[in-house]
Amino acid sequence: MTAQAPARTAAAEIAAWMNALGVDVHAFAARTAALWTDRTRPFGLTPGDVAHLEGLAGEFLAAHPFVVGAGVIFSAEAIQGNDGGLEWWIRRQDTVEKLEFDLTPGGERFYDYQNMPFFASASRTGEQTSWGPYVDYLGLDEYILTHSAPIQLGGTFAGVAGCDIRIRTLEEIFMPVLRAIPGDAALINASGRVVVGNSGAYLVGERIRSTPAGSEMIPVEVPHLGFSLLSRRQGVPPDRAQDRTSATLADSDLPQGEHS
Amino acid sequence: MAPTTAFQAHVYRSLPETERSGAIVDRISKAISLGLLKVGERLPPETALSEMFGVAPSTLREALSDLRQQGIVATRRGRSGGTFILRQPFTSEEAMRSWFQETSIAEIRDVGDEHAAIAAATVRLACERAEPHEVGRLLELARGLALSDTPEARARADSRFHIELAVLAQSPRLTNAEIRLQAEIVQALWAPLPSTRDPERVAAEHLALARAIADDASEHAQRLVLEHIRHDIHHLVDTKLSLGYPTSRQERP
Repeated sequence: MTAQAPARTAAAEIAAWMNALGVDVHAFAARTAALWTDRTRPFGLTPGDVAHLEGLAGEFLAAHPFVVGAGVIFSAEAIQGNDGGLEWWIRRQDTVEKLEFDLTPGGERFYDYQNMPFFASASRTGEQTSWGPYVDYLGLDEYILTHSAPIQLGGTFAGVAGCDIRIRTLEEIFMPVLRAIPGDAALINASGRVVVGNSGAYLVGERIRSTPAGSEMIPVEVPHLGFSLLSRRQGVPPDRAQDRTSATLADSDLPQGEHS
Repeated sequence: MAPTTAFQAHVYRSLPETERSGAIVDRISKAISLGLLKVGERLPPETALSEMFGVAPSTLREALSDLRQQGIVATRRGRSGGTFILRQPFTSEEAMRSWFQETSIAEIRDVGDEHAAIAAATVRLACERAEPHEVGRLLELARGLALSDTPEARARADSRFHIELAVLAQSPRLTNAEIRLQAEIVQALWAPLPSTRDPERVAAEHLALARAIADDASEHAQRLVLEHIRHDIHHLVDTKLSLGYPTSRQERP
């Protein structure tokens, strides 16, 4: 077969989109790292530093209309004291607003960010990472996906810079690409969870524990993120086409009088 | 009919400034409990607040000072300053007693019915959707109750565990429903009143539930959460009755 299968085209398009975002998140991480290059660890976070970070996060939000939140998280070893570990801003109509978190362990609304996968994974591997869909309880309190990249200072991990995208926005972004695939298809994350599906067969948040018969997982080629595209194998007639056939048959079985 | 005009006159009399200040404290506290105002959120500026509440600036300052003393808000100076919400208020023992007196057994049972409906669906979805490392966090939160030693900390650990179940179910709506239900009952469950819920037992129930979810035993987990909620409701009813059930005979000697 010379023409690429629609699912492979879709996987390539999704990969291109995510790689472009990945480049921007890495650039965001590098720009935040540039603020600290002449400091010795653990460094303190001055109000001037926070204002700088706010500027960078604001630029990132302005350049990416589909992103709802952006900011940085420092590792506990990189900064002095407990304050200032989590500097995150969100879009509010026309302005950018700082998210306030409870960072006191045992606090009423303690946000355990050092154990959040988008931080812990980047810290462990030193590579970009993506986490979601998840309900960001005590954070943004929304259903989101977070994409983050490590901040490296002198070759050492100091934290992550990242951004949040609402799941409903991702749905709008990927649906045209997924709808071009005949039959049920879905974008699946590294842990086998549906991010966006092109029908009711694969619903966001559900876990696909094994590849359904007649389907295949096509890797979405984005380094370290582990996304894949689940779709019908080529040559296997899509379920929905079968459904349509039987629906047509059923219609023609109806008595003539019902149609007139 | 009993003469109510005197009472009504009492209800509708103009509010003294001290009661207005108390009403502001109550309203803000209630809004935080219900999640309408979030911890970390900044309140509007004082001038705007006193205008919206229709009170003198001094009355508003009194209310804010009361909230600060209770540790519910803190005021920071400077460019990014303002009054911030620090934590959820814990209702006083007196307010808890009147909650038990005003809430009928039928209403307590009904909250339990709603919680059971939400929790059974939540637990079924959590079994389907949770990932192994997420279950690790759930087990940790289940142990949290055994490590808490004040009514406030126990209430917090209890509700945090139940809300995490909804987070694992991947559902913002179930999470919001659970937050609302917890705001309604968790303080009553852990109120420092004569009969208290046994934290060890509740922690054991949370742990058993978390393990059932870890084992992907959906049916078992649903049964455990329904039993757990029934124990909560029995406890609330027992507490209500132990505080005395006023009868009309006792009221009119």
